This record gives sequence, C-alpha cells and structure tokens, in this order.
Amino acid sequence: MAALDRAKDESDATPPSLGPASDQIWLDLNFHLTELSAGNALIDDEFNEELFIKPLQKGYVYSNFQFTTKWNATIHHTDTFRHYHLFPKALGEVLLKYGVQELHLSQTQGLWRHKQWGYPVHDAPPGAELWVWFKPSVSNVDKAWTDLANAVSGLFCSSLNFMDSKNIITPRWSFRPQGLASQAYAFRSYFMRYGTLPHEIVCTENLTPWRKLLPCDSNAGLSTLFNAFHFHDANYHSLGLHVRPVCANPECTEEAIELSQSLSIVTDVVSTSNTGAPHWSLKSLFGNHLVSACPIASKSVIIVETAEQQASLPYRLSPNPTLGKEILRGEEKHNYAVYDVRSFTQHGRVLNVAGTYEDVSRLIDDAVPPPIHAHRYITGYGLADGGITCLIHNTLPVNQSILYMDVVPWFTRVYFSSLEVTNKDHKVPFKVHYVPAKDRLRPHHLELAFMLWPHSTTRVSFNFTRAFLKWTEYPPDANHGFYISSAVISALLPSSLEYTGPSQGASELSTIFTENSTNFMTRIHTESLLVSLPTPDFSMPYNVICLACTVLAIAFGSMHNLTTRRFVKEDLSKKKGVIAKLKSFFSRKKKEETAKETEKLAADQGEAKSESESSPTASYDNSNAEEQS
Amino acid sequence: MASAGVYLLGIFSVIIRVVLMNTHLPKWLRSRNEVVTPITSWENVEEGFSLQSQLVSPYTGDLFHETPLALRSLKIAHYFPYRVSGFFLFIDVLVMVFLYKIATAFVNYLLCNQEEEKKNYSLKAKSLILTGNYLAWLPLTIVGVHALNPFSIMTTLAASTAALTNLAVLIAFYNMILGNRFLSTLFLAVASYQSLYPIVFIVPVALHFYKKSCKSPPVSYTTKESVYSFTETLSIFGLFLGLLGGFSFLAERSWDFVFSTYGFILSVPDLTPNIGVFWYFFTEMFEHFRTLFVCVFQLNAVIYTLPLAIKFTEKPFFLLYVLIFITSIFKSYPSYGDTALYFSLLPLWSHVFPYMRNTLVVGGMYICSVVLAPILYHLWIFAGSANANFYFAITLVYSTAQIFLVTDIVFAYLRREYDLYHGTEHLNPDGTKARIKLD
Repeated sequence: MAALDRAKDESDATPPSLGPASDQIWLDLNFHLTELSAGNALIDDEFNEELFIKPLQKGYVYSNFQFTTKWNATIHHTDTFRHYHLFPKALGEVLLKYGVQELHLSQTQGLWRHKQWGYPVHDAPPGAELWVWFKPSVSNVDKAWTDLANAVSGLFCSSLNFMDSKNIITPRWSFRPQGLASQAYAFRSYFMRYGTLPHEIVCTENLTPWRKLLPCDSNAGLSTLFNAFHFHDANYHSLGLHVRPVCANPECTEEAIELSQSLSIVTDVVSTSNTGAPHWSLKSLFGNHLVSACPIASKSVIIVETAEQQASLPYRLSPNPTLGKEILRGEEKHNYAVYDVRSFTQHGRVLNVAGTYEDVSRLIDDAVPPPIHAHRYITGYGLADGGITCLIHNTLPVNQSILYMDVVPWFTRVYFSSLEVTNKDHKVPFKVHYVPAKDRLRPHHLELAFMLWPHSTTRVSFNFTRAFLKWTEYPPDANHGFYISSAVISALLPSSLEYTGPSQGASELSTIFTENSTNFMTRIHTESLLVSLPTPDFSMPYNVICLACTVLAIAFGSMHNLTTRRFVKEDLSKKKGVIAKLKSFFSRKKKEETAKETEKLAADQGEAKSESESSPTASYDNSNAEEQS
Repeated sequence: MASAGVYLLGIFSVIIRVVLMNTHLPKWLRSRNEVVTPITSWENVEEGFSLQSQLVSPYTGDLFHETPLALRSLKIAHYFPYRVSGFFLFIDVLVMVFLYKIATAFVNYLLCNQEEEKKNYSLKAKSLILTGNYLAWLPLTIVGVHALNPFSIMTTLAASTAALTNLAVLIAFYNMILGNRFLSTLFLAVASYQSLYPIVFIVPVALHFYKKSCKSPPVSYTTKESVYSFTETLSIFGLFLGLLGGFSFLAERSWDFVFSTYGFILSVPDLTPNIGVFWYFFTEMFEHFRTLFVCVFQLNAVIYTLPLAIKFTEKPFFLLYVLIFITSIFKSYPSYGDTALYFSLLPLWSHVFPYMRNTLVVGGMYICSVVLAPILYHLWIFAGSANANFYFAITLVYSTAQIFLVTDIVFAYLRREYDLYHGTEHLNPDGTKARIKLD
C-alpha cells in the first residue's frame, strides 16, 4: 500500500516519458492505480483526449482538441486537494485557495464567424474571458475575484489581472452554473463574476502553461500535434479551460470535478497549402502525424463531423474510420467518422487523418447559416457621440427567446433612454436588467430578454457619448482606440443545426453519440468593437497649466486692484506718460551728445587758443539755454 | 404697466424662438458643449426619467446630475403643449417677465437711492445724475436685450436646465428689490440647491436686508444689529436649503444624490469640453496635484465674494451682479446659459457704460470665440484636422473676454462713483486737466 502511494506520488512528480519502453511502465502504473481507485476515492480520476474535426465551407477546417480530466472527488471538500493524480496541482491549489466552484477561461485570437462556420464546441469572444462561480463560503467575492484573477494570470502568463472592477460584472440572467450547484445558485448570481479583456493578445506564452496542465504534456497523445507555428497561422484559435463540479455517476449520487481543456483552431486550408488545394490532413493542419495516444488516457479518439454520409462526401476520408455514425440530434441528422487513436497507432504505425477532394469544385460552400447568428457594430461618426447596434438573425421558423448581454465600458456613456429593440420597425417588448456605469469604477451592464420572431432580424441599438479621459488614462497608443467586449447571446435552441458541442451535462465530445437531448444550449459571442476616444494633446501639460493659471491670474489681479485701491487725481504734467518719458529719455541722450560735442569743440578751441574758459560750464549753459527755449 | 413696445418685443422674441425651434438648430444646439453641460443637458434629464421608470436610481449612473426634486418636477415638461420645447419657451417667457419687472423696480430703486445720496454728490456731477426720462428706456432695453440675445435664444432652444437656475436667481433678485426677504431667500435657496454656486449670492442679499432694516443709512456693518440681521437672513436661507435637502432625501431615501450633484460640481470628474477653464486644465493635470488644484479653482470661483463684499457693502445689487458674473465664469461647468443671465442683466448698469474702457476688444473677443468655438470643435472631433489645443485656446479667449468685461464694469462703476463725489471735471491746482488713476 505504502509503496503504491509512493509510486503514485512519483507519477505526479514525473511527467510521462517518451519512449515505448517507459510507456509500458506508465500503462502498468496506471492499471494499478485504476484498480486501487475502487477502494480509495482520492485518486479516482480519469483522462480522455479527443480531437473533433469539422471541415467548414470554403476550405476552412475546424479542429477542436478536448482534454477532459474527471476526478471523482468533491470540490467543496478541502481534503480533496491534498493529493493529486491526473488533475494539475497548480490549478487545484488556486481553486482551493480562492473558493472557486466553477471556472471558465478562454483566450482567443480571431473572431468566430457563426454565419459561415456554425457553432463551435465552446464559444469564446476575441481576447480573454473569465467567469467564475465562487463557493458560498467566500465572504468577499470581489476580493476573491481580484486575487483569483492575479493567480490565474500568473498561471497562464496572461494579463487577466487587468480585469478589475472597471470591466467585471455580475450577470443576472445570462450565466448560470454549468455544473452541479445548489438550488440557491439558480436565482442569485451574487457569487458569480464575469470579466473580459477584448484586447488581450493570445500567443505561445499562453499555450505553453496551458499545455503543461495536461497529464501527458505534449509528449504523447493528441497534444503532440500542438505546433505553435501552425496555431498562430490559423484564422482563429482559442484556448479554453473549464472547471466545474459534475455528477460522478449517472444517478448523480456522487460528485466529481471536471477539468476540460479545449483548443480550437480554424485553418484556412486553401490559402495555407502550397498547391491551393482544399485537401486537409493532420499533417497539413498541425505539421505532424499522430504517433501515439496518451498512455494514461482512457479514451483517445478523433471524431470527424461530415456534412453527409461518407459515401456521398465530396472528399474521401483516409484512412477508413474505426466506425461511422449517423446520429439524430433533435431533428437534425449528424454524421461522424470516429478514429480510435490507440488502435491506429499500435505497432509503431502513424495516423494521419486526411480529407482528399476528388473534385475540387465540390467544395462545401452552401452551408446553411445556423439558427441564430449576430452582427454587432458601432454607429455614428466623429469622436463625440455614437451608438452600438446588434443585428440578431433568427433562421428558425419559430419564435426563439434569447438573452442578450452587453458590457460597455464607462467611458462610452450609454444612454439607457435610447435603448431600442426593433424588428422590421416594430418595437419588440423586452425585459431588461440595467446597471449604469460609474466613472472609473464599473462598466455599463445591460441584459435583455426578448423574443426573436421567425425568419427575421432583430435590431438591438443604443447610443452613447464618449467621455474625455485624463491624459494619464490613455494607453501609449491612444489613437488606436479602446475595445468594447463582445455581447453575449444565450439561447436554448430547439434545433441542432450546425451545433457541435455535447449537451451541457456531458463531459466528453463522444457523448454526442449517446445523448438524446432536444434542446441545445447555445451561447454566442459577437464581434468586439473598437472605439476611438477624443484625445488631448499629450505634449503640453505644462503649457496648459500655465495658460489656464494665467487666465485665473488676470481675473485675480484685476479684481485685487479694483477692490484694494482707490482712485486718485494725478497731475499729468508731473507724471509723464510712457511716450513723454521716452521723449525725455531721447532728448536727454541728445543733450548728452550735444554736450559731448561742445566739450570736444571747446577742447579744440582750447587747443587752438591755449587759453580759454572751462568748457563744461559753457556746455551746461548751452544746454540750459536749449531747455529754456 | 408695460408699454406697447415691451409687449411687441416680447411677442417678437417668442416668434423668433418658435421659428428657430422648427429648424434643425435645437437638435444641433442640444449637442453643443458651449450651450449644454453634463449638468444642464436635457438628454441627461431624459436619461434620468428612463432610469427612474426602470426603478433604477438615476444616481447610480454617471449621466444624471440634476437634483432629486428637479428629477420629479421636470416631468411636467412632458405635459406642456409642444412638450419640452414648449416648457422651455414658457420658462424663457417667465425669465423675460421677471427681467421686465426687475427693470421697472430697479429704475425706482436707482432713483430713490440717488435721492438719498444726492446730498453727498459733488455739485459738478450734475451731468451724471440719473433722470426718470433716461431710465424709462431701461425696461424696454432689458427686454430687448433678452429677446435678441443669442445666448438666451441658444439656451432656450437647447432646452438647457440652466434656464431654471437663472429663473430662480431672477426671482430672488426681483424680491430683493421689492424687499421681500422670505421669497428672496427662498428662491436663492432654490437656485443654490439646483446649481450650488448661487449660495454665495446670500452675501449681497444679507447686506441688502440689513441696509433696508435701518432707518437711516447704516454707518457700520459690524454692529450687533447687523450681525443679528445677517444671522436672521442666513438662517432663513439655511432653513430653506435644509428643507430642500430634506425633501430630496425623503424622495430619494438616500444621500447618494449629493455625490452625483454637488460632488460632481465640486470634484469635476467629467472633463467634457465646455467654455470654462476647468476641463482641459484637469485633463492635463498631474494626478497627484489634482486635489490641490480642484480646491484652488473652486475657491477661485467664490473667493471674490469677500473683497467685493467689502468694497460694495453699500451697493448690494451691484455686488450681486458681479458675483453672478464671476461665478458664471469660474464655475466648474459653465455654459451659455450662465452667460445669458449676466448679459440680460447687463443693461441695468447702462449708466456706467460711458466709463468702460475696452468694449471694442471685449466685443471682438466675444464674437470671435462664439463663432470659432463650434468650428474648432468640429475640426478637432469630426474632421480630425485640429487637436484639443485649438478648442482650449478659444475657451481661454472666451474666459478672458468675460474677465475683461466684468473688471471693466467694476472699474466703470467705481469710476462713476468717484465722479459722482468729485465732479466730472478733474483739474490740477494749476488748472490743467488731471488724470484719475488707481493707486
């Protein structure tokens, strides 16, 4: 027993090693541990890796890696976080310390185009998004958030610490716990905080720490496909991390902690391939074949969602999948080709799932737009006033109720009175929750609940006026503008058209094959917006201070003069004006010159005469005579 | 009774405003920073209404800065014919009526006051003695100035709530001339409650009512009686202010509004450009000096009360006028609404105009800045071809013009006083012309 415990500790400490020999040791160890777990709940965990590939229209390919660690332990128990096995310790400690019940983080570069690409497995806005449900035991939620944001930003090398009170809110309706939660959480969102950083740039430094949380790191399994160069060359890539408590068994008698890490990429195959052909393969998407499954993963699969049944596909999938499935989700048929990585990579073989078009002209470019998609943009011109408009399209033949949430920064001061929801010039009744912004303290928080009419476009619009910031509040690139985070639209759709994710309670993607839900929880994020704010001149604070103070001084000086002095008579002849003074000054100068001249003259005369009167007197007399005249 | 001319002018002014209301001008003016400020903008009042209808306190946001009682009473604007425009036209007509009443009452006051002081005047100052005939034109002039004053017209068209404060100040002014202490302090309290700065106008009011209570002209303003009278006026004023504050609290059930209204005026968090000296100064100010300079600038707006009160103890109306003028220059969010008030009252001192020295320069500065301000703002905000400094420069010119004008009027007033007591001819002992200067 003790030896096994030690072995377990070692397994925690050492990362899974590479070569096939050590793989064997790993497998054995894992085997023992799973056996043991029946008796010991502490290490009862399970890891699954999945790659979901969906060729999109016009030669785009969507790939979504999903790594799920399910730990059969309760998140509410402090003792849970004493011993770790597959669950990353770095994350577990953060969860414990800040009383986190649910944590959802996404770091995204690029914009997901719902109209063309349908819905991703996890929808994410451009930039970073973090939303957290805290445990009821947390007394000061705002402080816990600040600390957590700092810890998480350290963990993922991102600037989440900039999510302060200025851009976080407590959504009232749009976000509910995604995992197990007590009944109280259904009505009150006191323990929840939602923050976004639309200008956050996601790069390799975010990928590396995220990857390190995986039990296999990138040494084995699907994560060997991670290639930063290919990811950042993609049109869209998104890192996701979701922690939530879930049911450990179908009867839900026990709790488990689920950590789901996802990485989504949309690659434009046509423009990135050398030949301009839309053929795709693991090698072309990620620059590598798949050589192994992660040895500790209990499931390692690649699922390709195909638009039609395999026989009628415009491209040929190779190698032949382990199994092909046609599933009815709601009323829509979905076709999947499933590859079991482990069986494909046995005996040193490599797996390179590929889709090869026989007829390039048959590229899928007639994809049906998903039931709900949106487009949001800034209206108005100039740097004074403006507006935000969001067009929400409903392609369903039925009414669809949705929740719309918008978080607008304080410096774009929203006029609530201008808020309108219209559909073909008819006003749509809506329910609203609005928290106005406070300067430099909190953002505007708008949540709307309303109905989208069948086959129609609903317009949500409101106006704002731009605030003038202090010169120190502008970033160094002040004229780049300021970002407004995406609006979030949440809906429970009756159709699974273009829907890719599993149902809400499910942990793994492969549960798609067995679920039978008829409602599909959808959350879409719109475009984030960029607004320019009027800028002051940054180069001359001193001049401005001096000039404004001068004006004050003019007033103060004049008033001081007028109130403290009194009028007196002044003899003009005694007191000369400036011109008179100048005149006299020049005339004196003249006199001096003439005096000198006379002196000189006198001296000359003296020389000539050798005997004479004193010249200065003479000149003085002369000048006197001049003055009198 | 008003003469036919006054009626005609009044009707004419209403016609001008109604005609202009039907153009695109009001919409444009409502967004002009010179005409409306965050405090006086009607758009922000509407925002307050709509937040209130959602049961969200308007004071939780940062757009609404009206007082709680204004929030509740301004709703009547929606029940006026032509709604908001109609309401502000009505306010404008009221302003005009009170200006007319002030003018007629002030003519009487001037003549009576002159009669009292005549015995002290120099015999050589006969040409300066005001006559009923000369002053008879004053009511007409004042109504005419208000009718044609572009500042008043712009304020009315832009539906700026500064008009309400102006009306309250005018009613207080009028009751001060009538000698009604109760109504005068009441309306002054209303004005102070609305926009804080009129609180300093209580000084001339207190001085006036003490002076009025004395049988003969008071010798000293530091006697026991005077202190008693001042305290009485101040406590009535304080009582009204307290009542207004108390009602606001009862209506709002919290003191949050204090920070959104008076806190907003005093701490200047909104740096939207306006015609004052605050916005760009505090945009460019270094953060650690901000508090100091906010205090300095706010003190600057009211500090003149003290020296002026000492200088013009005997002339409470002129003191009140100068204070109205100075606070409208140096308040944190000034607008053309404030300019409109002192311009409309300016003809009251038409008898000192001949002593003014730089009317041409001041007039030129006013015209330049009023014309150039929207142009430079457009170049900065919309065309992007100018920057903030351009607009800042023009607001400085405007402030300087106002300062020149107010100092010129004070100078002219003092100069005329000097002439009244020393005659208009100033000769040296040797018979040559002497010059009068401040020393």
